[in-house]
Amino acid sequence: MSIDHTHHSHPPAAGPVRARGTGRRVRRAARLLPALALALTLAACGDDDGDATPETTAAETGGIVVQDAWVRATEGSEDPSMTGAFMVLENDGEDDVDLVGAASPVSGMVELHEMAMVDGDMVMQQVDGGITITAGRGKVLEPGGYHVMLMGLTDPLAPGDEVELTLEFSDGSEQTLTAPVKEFTEEEGHYHEPGTEEHGHDDSSEESMSDSGHGDS
Amino acid sequence: MTARVGRRALLGYAGSAAAGAAVAGTAGAVAWSQEQDHPADPATGASPAGRSHSPYGVHQPGVAAPTPQAVTLVALDLRSGVDRDALARLLRLWTGDIEALTQGRGAPGDTTPWLATAGADLTVTVGVGPGPVRAGLLPGLDGFGEIPPMRHDRLEERWSGGDLLVSVGGRDGTTVGHAVRRLTADAEPFARLRWRQHGSWNGLDGEQRPVTGRNLFGQVDGSRNPQPGTDLFDQTVWVRSGAWAGGTTLALRRIRMDLATWDELTRDEQERSTGRDLAAGAPLTGGVESDDVDLLARADGRFVVARDAHVRRSHPASNQGRRIFRKGANYSVEEWTDGGLRVESGLLFQSFQADLTDQFVRVQRTVDELDALNEWTTAIGSAAFAILPGFEKGSWLGEPLLT
Repeated sequence: MSIDHTHHSHPPAAGPVRARGTGRRVRRAARLLPALALALTLAACGDDDGDATPETTAAETGGIVVQDAWVRATEGSEDPSMTGAFMVLENDGEDDVDLVGAASPVSGMVELHEMAMVDGDMVMQQVDGGITITAGRGKVLEPGGYHVMLMGLTDPLAPGDEVELTLEFSDGSEQTLTAPVKEFTEEEGHYHEPGTEEHGHDDSSEESMSDSGHGDS
Repeated sequence: MTARVGRRALLGYAGSAAAGAAVAGTAGAVAWSQEQDHPADPATGASPAGRSHSPYGVHQPGVAAPTPQAVTLVALDLRSGVDRDALARLLRLWTGDIEALTQGRGAPGDTTPWLATAGADLTVTVGVGPGPVRAGLLPGLDGFGEIPPMRHDRLEERWSGGDLLVSVGGRDGTTVGHAVRRLTADAEPFARLRWRQHGSWNGLDGEQRPVTGRNLFGQVDGSRNPQPGTDLFDQTVWVRSGAWAGGTTLALRRIRMDLATWDELTRDEQERSTGRDLAAGAPLTGGVESDDVDLLARADGRFVVARDAHVRRSHPASNQGRRIFRKGANYSVEEWTDGGLRVESGLLFQSFQADLTDQFVRVQRTVDELDALNEWTTAIGSAAFAILPGFEKGSWLGEPLLT
């Protein structure tokens, strides 16, 4: 079971702004208390006032609009050979479109990943098929959720660098964009354990974080 | 109450998103004023219900937007080794932040995206100091350079200069502070903080109608500003040709105001020093606030507006027709000293003009030479920035200057 950051349980069609905000609430919830993440997803939707915003930006072109893309810096991270790319994918078209693949000149291998609940644990895994970008709702790719996983990085990525990304969609279209590299301040273990296909995000990883010298100030 | 404002803000966002592309350049200010419940002076008016400014246009929208209720001006110095390519990367980074933050979304990679608020009147205005221009990172601009020292200046290095400016304005200090934090964090690889100055402005009257606003002397401040959307405004503010077309220049002056000695004056003395009525802001020669002053009017054989009155000295007629477009932000800062808590108050005076030397410096020299207000006001900080032209969707801040 995966977390759909487009909050399909959200009753009225809120605008893209609300979709984003909710998505980020989900991320924090997932990080802090994985087992309760889904429950909090629903709770987080409870503050909607029910006053639906009409979709005034109706689709003229259809297609996918990529917004707010960024790539996490690897400089100084435990495993600088891999990182994640995050973004907001808007779909103003009539039909759902899947993000089915991605490529980047800085990366030897790119995969689409999701965080999912498996046996009560939040784990990272490769997405089966593609990431569905729901018509009218879009999809948020963010730390702790869906993301584009860049592996086999040739050089460390420092804040202020730029990374070229090509996204491939199920309708056969492609988009190439330049994403800024930004510092990611959350402690790395909370993002996911680098180098593992599946990683249980449980108490033991919390302990390993505190043992690794982050709190020496 | 909270829910009602939230809904309004959300609807405001949807509306502005649809209109955003059509609202470009100086038309933005005009279109904005037409959306208000109380159409009024778009240069100074604020609105009870906030809006989300489109980040796109021929000009950066913060210049012609109403004076923000809260503003933080941040100056940064480029780190050594930052070349044109690096500066371009920083400006692309900021472009993405501005696109998100002004629409109420967290900046990409935001650690606290919940602090980004739609309908917050948020504007981000970016400029470049004389240093990077002189170093050839950007093309030169006629009349742009450091502001020469004035006789009455008591400038402090810590409030002066800077390679880059980010001016963030908005409805409230929390939203503004969040945007400042993101923008400065993302600039960290490229530039280090030089100074930050925060001020506030009240552009609404008791019935929430837009008004000019007052400085801490109680003076209505900015009455005769050129109005956005007029030819006079365009001629005064915007660079019209060359690489910087669509940009402008900003002179920022941190002006300390001696409130204690000002308060010792009688009202008559206070009004004589500026040449305006304190209650309404109207010229002492009569009429209403928006009326021009009659510099030749006499009573009992003497000028009604004194020779050293601020309205006379700063008037275009005393400066060969030169004008500026000004905005203010009041500040009060606390500082613990050996002698106890000291409070300094003043005005963050922001003057926009196409040609810094020909307009601001010329007017400032006149005022420096003779102006009654010099007795109670002292510039303690001074900085000049060339404000980048605006950008359209798909482009980025400074692209025509750096590619």
